[in-house]
Amino acid sequence: MSTSYAPPVQRLVTELSKLPGIGNRTAQRLAFHILRTSPEDAVALAEAIREVKEKIGLCEVCFNLTDEARCRICQDPRRDQELICVVEEPSDVIPMERTHEYHGVYHVLGGALSPIDGVDPEDLKIAELLTRAASSQISVREVVLATNPTTTGEATALHIAEGLRQRAPQIKLTRLASGLPVGSDLEYADEVTLGKAFAGRRTV
Amino acid sequence: MRVVSVEMRDFRTYARAEARIGAGLTVVHGPNGAGKSNLLEGIYFGCTGRSPRTRSDRELIRFGAPATRVAVRLLDGEEPHELTVGYEAATGGAQAVKRMSADGAEVERLLDVPSRPLISVFMPDRLELLKGPPALRRAHLDQVVAAIWPARAQARREYSRVLAQRNALLARIRAGRASHAAMATWDRELASKALTLREQRAGAVNLLAEPFALKAGQLGCNGEVSIEYRPRSKALDEDQFVAELQERLDGDLERGFSGHGPHRDELAIVRDGRELRVYGSQGEQRLALLALLLAERSVLARERGRTPLMLLDDVMSELDGERRELLVGELSAAGQSVIATTDLGHVPTAGEAHVTRLRISPGTILQEAIAA
Ligand SMILES: [Zn+2]
Repeated sequence: MSTSYAPPVQRLVTELSKLPGIGNRTAQRLAFHILRTSPEDAVALAEAIREVKEKIGLCEVCFNLTDEARCRICQDPRRDQELICVVEEPSDVIPMERTHEYHGVYHVLGGALSPIDGVDPEDLKIAELLTRAASSQISVREVVLATNPTTTGEATALHIAEGLRQRAPQIKLTRLASGLPVGSDLEYADEVTLGKAFAGRRTV
Repeated sequence: MRVVSVEMRDFRTYARAEARIGAGLTVVHGPNGAGKSNLLEGIYFGCTGRSPRTRSDRELIRFGAPATRVAVRLLDGEEPHELTVGYEAATGGAQAVKRMSADGAEVERLLDVPSRPLISVFMPDRLELLKGPPALRRAHLDQVVAAIWPARAQARREYSRVLAQRNALLARIRAGRASHAAMATWDRELASKALTLREQRAGAVNLLAEPFALKAGQLGCNGEVSIEYRPRSKALDEDQFVAELQERLDGDLERGFSGHGPHRDELAIVRDGRELRVYGSQGEQRLALLALLLAERSVLARERGRTPLMLLDDVMSELDGERRELLVGELSAAGQSVIATTDLGHVPTAGEAHVTRLRISPGTILQEAIAA
């Protein structure tokens, strides 16, 4: 690799290449693009990154992204608090919302079980989900396991189902119908497919 | 679906050669070392993107050339298709590149292309399937499953993915970096995928057993020859499989990987109760392999209505006159096949009008007779 860039340029390239899907060559292209843009645009980008890290945190109830203590969905009195949909990532909430089929609340795990990637149950918000579901404040009626239909998503759903059966056996457990192609991410599912998957969810 | 022609550039001994393949039987003849096997290998490579003889694609490039390319033209009814495989060896700083396409569009794997013909190959190197480690037979059996029931092809992949996760967890627990908390979950996932895979393998072997015994007898195998699926697990359901895993957990933790499951199954080929792999002569093993491929061919024809293209290298010298006639009769009855032989006289119908004949001399293919 060339070492002839000035240190600030090299630092920018290094930081950019840490982003997912960005190799060293793309990182260099982005860095030179930033160098060419106006100071206002470059500062706006830096500010946006700073602001998102300062203001956005995880909802204290469902661990979705929020700029308050509780996310808008958890605060919404029209949402059915007794129905919890469990998803892997905050990005999985958006397509679910777009279906307009779902009126419950969410629980965002922050990933899926994957020993290969070093992800164990303790690394996900699983204990928090069990506590939440077993809590006496709200009597949860149903938990929809909407993790991805992948190896890791299936294992995560199974793991949570086992935990819930022990901690809160009265809760109905459902899994999204397999309208989704096997191996696909919830994130890439279109609204119609996802709506059908929700309507046809099956008890596990 | 049938192969119409294959075109090779800088492939093994061929700088540039094209061969038309007949709709039924094609006989490739020529002296030893002329390149008959290379032509069969070229057809296989063009249809699958892999060689049946070597894992090192570099060997496929003609000496002194930078790259090789094979194009196979197909007909599905009236509809033409084309598959291509190009391979460029690594040079200096550049990595080796393999490019495959179907009808002009680049694809990652030819095996997933619907217009790809099913293909079955008998070559001296294939004897490894009988003599080699069980993993080769498992992989072959899983390919047979995928060929008979394309929708079930992912069972092996799904099992492998869960197995890899469970192995990673064992290694992490052993290294003190993870708790046992998720072990039961991965055991159950493994059990569910394992039982599916076992059921599919058993189903395929069940279909193969009778035709295999029949073909083996017809080809002159001595004694009672049979094919047996020997799964590692005797579990009747998921719970029992999970229990089997748990019994072996300490050993698994010690090794850092899973020692139980379909990845340890055996597909045994047996004569009078003893494994041919160990107790068979080379000749017996060759006949058993041929019988297995013919059994698969008949099962695929029956179950899927698709007869695989059969590539047979140097098989005739093994058989007496009666069995040569039997084999050629069976191959001519349906589908396409290509037989390579040093002696045209070994193929009973070679002179007839329905047979396509190719004569090979080093580096060239002469189209002697083309049958419609
Ligand atoms: Zn929330």
